[in-house]
Amino acid sequence: MSERAYRERLEADLTRWQAEGLLPPKSADAIRATLRPVPEGITIATVVGIVGGLLIAAAFLAFIAANWTAIARPLRFAILLAGIVGAYGAGALFDRAERTHLADLSAGVGSIIFGAAIALVGQMYHLGDDFAGGLLLWASGALAAAALTGSHSALAVALAAGCAWSGMRIDETANVHPPFAIFSLIGAMLALAWNTAASRHLIAVAALAGAVLAGFGMVQGRIGSPNFTVVAIVSLMVGAGLLLTTRRGVAVRAFGLTLSTYGAFGLAIGLAGVIAEILRPVTPNLPYLSLGIAAVAIISAFAAAVAAQRAGPVLAALSITGALVVASGLIPTAAGEEPWLSYALALSAMLCLVVSGMLDDVRPRIVAGWLGLAATIAAVTWAVQGSLLRRAVFLAVAGLVAVALASLLGRMIGRGRR
Amino acid sequence: MIGVLRTLLSSIPRPIFFALAALIQVVLVGLMVYDRVRVLREGSEVTLQTRPVDPRDLLRGDYVVLTYDITNLPAGDLKDTPSQGRGTPVFVKLARKGDFYEAVSVHAAPVPVADGEVLIRGRATGGANCGSTHRLFCERLHVNYGIERYFVPQDEGKAIERSRNEGQVSVVASVAPSGRAAIKRLLLGGKPVYDEPKF
Repeated sequence: MSERAYRERLEADLTRWQAEGLLPPKSADAIRATLRPVPEGITIATVVGIVGGLLIAAAFLAFIAANWTAIARPLRFAILLAGIVGAYGAGALFDRAERTHLADLSAGVGSIIFGAAIALVGQMYHLGDDFAGGLLLWASGALAAAALTGSHSALAVALAAGCAWSGMRIDETANVHPPFAIFSLIGAMLALAWNTAASRHLIAVAALAGAVLAGFGMVQGRIGSPNFTVVAIVSLMVGAGLLLTTRRGVAVRAFGLTLSTYGAFGLAIGLAGVIAEILRPVTPNLPYLSLGIAAVAIISAFAAAVAAQRAGPVLAALSITGALVVASGLIPTAAGEEPWLSYALALSAMLCLVVSGMLDDVRPRIVAGWLGLAATIAAVTWAVQGSLLRRAVFLAVAGLVAVALASLLGRMIGRGRR
Repeated sequence: MIGVLRTLLSSIPRPIFFALAALIQVVLVGLMVYDRVRVLREGSEVTLQTRPVDPRDLLRGDYVVLTYDITNLPAGDLKDTPSQGRGTPVFVKLARKGDFYEAVSVHAAPVPVADGEVLIRGRATGGANCGSTHRLFCERLHVNYGIERYFVPQDEGKAIERSRNEGQVSVVASVAPSGRAAIKRLLLGGKPVYDEPKF
């Protein structure tokens, strides 16, 4: 719930309770006094100002581009540097005037101009060799700017450039790219320090991108099963995220919640992708690193259950375990038969994810679980070849088992209440 | 400790942080240029003969694609030795033969060179993924030296590419002691057409 929506709901509740005589006026005022002032959102004037600024910047760039080759090289270089300095100068001025959103945006624009400067200097001085190195430079500079100025847009630029850098290195070297994990961890530390929703979401998206990139690295390098690697990394996001939600510190708990939620969505889509055989493993090897990540993911989820004394993380751990077993491809299947056991395990894993979300009262995880169930059923429908009758029988049996389980649970919960 | 750091950081005016961010990025861009200028100023000059490129390659934007006689070479002693896969750094020893420098041998690490020889650093973009593990050097290597692109003013590239494919284009490269190379001069029929300024 956004801060503004919470304040509106709280105000409505306080007014209602006062009217019903449940809350004395002094208590209501005392509650209001404990709340921090609502941070000013983006106003219409700010939006119009941003559009104006972007148009001026675009006009400036178009003018420079039209006359670029006619300008002497040292002057071109000076223009690029002036662009960087100008953007950050504007950011400093906005920051002093407490226009934080504009200051944030200015730092982001400065980071984009920095990236353009790298590309143009590369062109001017014929540095066409190492594109990935240029992207690393861009990502590093933008990350430094984000750390210094607290700019979310600079962080977004850094993470996007970082993902492009990693993708390019994977393509160049035909191998996985572990340095991206270190880069992401630095970004994660920033998100923890800032404790803002935007930064948490950015890091979580980058982590998902990292999982996909690792899968492609496995394919390119023919090192091991890409399916298992992707599912292991998103499982780690779920497990480690759940463990972080049991720690002290509001920032750490919030970060853990966001990470585990994105991991849950990654798990749902990744598992469906495994069932639909989107990425066919060139080799079925399960590298030690992937196995290690998977183990840490499961242990973390169980550790979260012990620390929080809740059943939700236990079911999340079971969900992770089921998904990893399916992705490993280790379940034996008779020749000519469909992997019915794998399909059943995938559906069970997603059901566990839904129930885990319900027990922890985390709606996004419930949604992820439902999405995973739907995607897995669609993937099973897609993947099954041959007899449609067998597919119908499988889905009917799975449905009957779920209904039977629901009745049993209903009776157990009813008995527990009595 | 963290509390002390927070107090210290909060005492610094915020515009300083913006200035520092700008300074870092300006320095990084400046280092790119400084690095290139250093190679051009301090490197040994070698003249390399270009080779025709597949005529189906189009001029990409405003740059000319260049390949050299030293681009495709036999791996020699490196054959069947371990590599890091595509992009493995290699060092090629060049010696002067007539008007141009030609490849003498390829090495996985820098080696001493005699008078008149130059060691140039490149990356094996092909021929480094042989064997069952795809991590051995093959019989022949395709090596990139970072001098395969030359940006030219618009509309001037096609004439250069035609001449390149007729074998008339050669390049004077500056090779630093570290092995890194930069294009110093583009020659057409032996005559300079493009000269890299010092800065």
